Amino acid sequence: MNTVASEYSSEVQSTPIEHSFNPYSDNGGTILGIAGEDFAVLAGDTRHTTDYSINSRYEPKVFDVGDNIIMSANGFAADGEALLKRFKNSLKWYHFDNNEKKLSMSAAARNIQQLLYGKRFFPYYVHTIIAGLDEDGKGSVFSFDPVGSYEREQCRAGGAAASLIMPFLDNQVNFKNQYVPGTDGKEKRHIKFLTVDEVVRLVRDAFTSATERHIHVGDGLEILIVTKDGVRKEFYELKRD
Amino acid sequence: MAGLSFDNYQRNQFLTSKNSAQPKATSTGTTIVGVKFEGGVLIAADTRSTQGPIVADKNCAKLHRISPRIWCAGAGTAADTEAVTALIGSNIELHSLSTRRQPRVVTALQMLKQHLFEYQGHIGAYLIVAGVDPTGPHLMSVQAHGSTDVGYYLSLGSGSLAAMAVLESRWREGLTKDEAVSLAADAIEAGIWNDLGSGSNVDVCVMEVGKDAAYLRNYRTPNVREPKQQSYKFARGTTAVLKESIINVCDIEEQEVEIQA
Amino acid sequence: MNHDPFSWGRPSDETYGAYDTKIAQAPAFPKMNTTQPIVTGTSVISMKYNNGVIIAADNLGSYGSLLRFTNVERLIPVGNSTVVGISGDISDMQHIEDLLEEMKTENNYDNSYVDDEEALKPSYVFEYLATVMYNRRSKMNPLWNAIIVAGMEDKKPFLRYVNLLGVTYSSPTLATGFGAHLALPLMRRVVDREDDIEKTTLEVAENTILESMKILYYRDARSSRKFSMAIIDNDQGLILKKGLQVENMSWEFAKNIRGYGTQKV
Repeated sequence: MNTVASEYSSEVQSTPIEHSFNPYSDNGGTILGIAGEDFAVLAGDTRHTTDYSINSRYEPKVFDVGDNIIMSANGFAADGEALLKRFKNSLKWYHFDNNEKKLSMSAAARNIQQLLYGKRFFPYYVHTIIAGLDEDGKGSVFSFDPVGSYEREQCRAGGAAASLIMPFLDNQVNFKNQYVPGTDGKEKRHIKFLTVDEVVRLVRDAFTSATERHIHVGDGLEILIVTKDGVRKEFYELKRD
Repeated sequence: MAGLSFDNYQRNQFLTSKNSAQPKATSTGTTIVGVKFEGGVLIAADTRSTQGPIVADKNCAKLHRISPRIWCAGAGTAADTEAVTALIGSNIELHSLSTRRQPRVVTALQMLKQHLFEYQGHIGAYLIVAGVDPTGPHLMSVQAHGSTDVGYYLSLGSGSLAAMAVLESRWREGLTKDEAVSLAADAIEAGIWNDLGSGSNVDVCVMEVGKDAAYLRNYRTPNVREPKQQSYKFARGTTAVLKESIINVCDIEEQEVEIQA
Repeated sequence: MNHDPFSWGRPSDETYGAYDTKIAQAPAFPKMNTTQPIVTGTSVISMKYNNGVIIAADNLGSYGSLLRFTNVERLIPVGNSTVVGISGDISDMQHIEDLLEEMKTENNYDNSYVDDEEALKPSYVFEYLATVMYNRRSKMNPLWNAIIVAGMEDKKPFLRYVNLLGVTYSSPTLATGFGAHLALPLMRRVVDREDDIEKTTLEVAENTILESMKILYYRDARSSRKFSMAIIDNDQGLILKKGLQVENMSWEFAKNIRGYGTQKV
């Protein structure tokens, strides 16, 4: 809308009044995936919100979908659930059609891209992360944007507090901005795989910190850990204010 | 003319229409309450301050002193609640000196509402004013547009519904001081747990007839952070010193001088 | 261009002659969806206790700020272990009642196991409603409601929420609308965590619900004194109490309040 230089122009409402139905909402929460040498974790807080209200203090959003793959779609909860349901269904059909063949991580990722891009012009409003082991048994994490662009990564945070957690991960998982002491910044700190215990400690500290500073994060932390032996769950309380 | 300048109003409106966002002020979320009891009145507040979904301050003070025995709990725009209480606080002090009388709650309330009404809601201060004066204990509230309210129990802010639910179910006439303090603190806690705009600790200020006001900062602290899982102390030298240079902005000359006693 | 909204997007009659609606099987009117609720029901509140679950809603149907209908039943029993509580648009609620009735009929038809292993369970009813709600929002034609499904399933209490967006969640205490702001804080003082459910008796839970309905009547301008409450108990089964009233209100102190500041008389 153009502003005309007249005495009354500033009183004109510059945004149109919304009359149509808004099919989206933000249900808060945050998720975090880290790949280790022979394991991967996917963690999420269990708080479910709309605006300034807590809908539930325990509504899990990280799921074991089978074939040693764990998945979470964080953002608009109804779309997240719909996407998860569609992927689980797709996995079932993959088993029917291919004699119970195990779905690989890369194939799962490509399939999820198709599901997301299929709604390119009415998107699933979610940040999706899957975690598992690749065909060589190495930990792997894939993350997706709402319309299906994806990438394999060492670690990724998604959802409400992603921007708070991601820099911490860059520094503590990929050792960004760290140098070997005494090398005058000529030698970067060498990357090494973290152990499960180290990763769980990082995840817990990331979530307690996000809880301190983001109002949509809190109540509980559920961590799913994938190893060659299967999927394991851990739960930790978070602050409830 | 003294007061706020609206010179940039039209410019800002234009910039907004051109899609550049307005700067956001801190803290709209809050829970504050006031409760009357036998022989006095008290106010209480949470201590979270927010900028959008981010917690700006985990232990801010929302209880402000207008005069030694008149205190005020503020919700709304943090800067406005602080500025308006400081201003009226000053004027109350001068008025008290000039009239040689103890400040009264109604005086503060009248000054606040006239000031806020003049600014037509642009000063985003929502206050619960309470205190004791020669006419007894008083509890009132003012809204940003200048309307006021009187009551035995009041709540304001984004957590006001949670707090009011507790007050409505447990307030009764003739509460003792201790009962009132615990009721008010419970009402604030309802806001802390159930409203995302409120959190951290409970501050209380008790004003009893014939006594000095008791400001109980961090009366309850139900949200102490657990220790972290590990230390994040970096090895010395992890951040490289890439370049070091010392610039002499002035020459230093030393000279011994004898001083005669 | 013809500016009549009923002719928007159509070739002008002057140039092309009258529009033939049969061409594209086009309707005579533009398609219209619900963009706002008309007659509405306010909060539904509910909580679990150690042997079941309670749900309550008042009997008012508001037409904006007009108290239009004063005898609306918003708790709908489905089978003998489920109650569906609905807030929001009343005409959409009645459509949902039709859907639930249809579901019962379908389940009953030619089914000799309907009284035991194939009886409708709360989770089935919920899954159906959640799917309907999400599909309608995805067609940009929502049912303007927030729904709570309460019941008993495998001797365990069931409680779950779904709204016009298809957003779903569970909690030991649930409420829609104003109830989420006024009643939930009170109910959570009794049952906040999963293990609080075991410590809460029917009597305590019932009193909490009654107290919450009182606070809602005090403070929600779109609420009424009359309400219904349903208890789904593991031993006593489904009990639907209609025509209850908010009691034990206190208005005594109000008469002592004078004016809004300096007034004394």
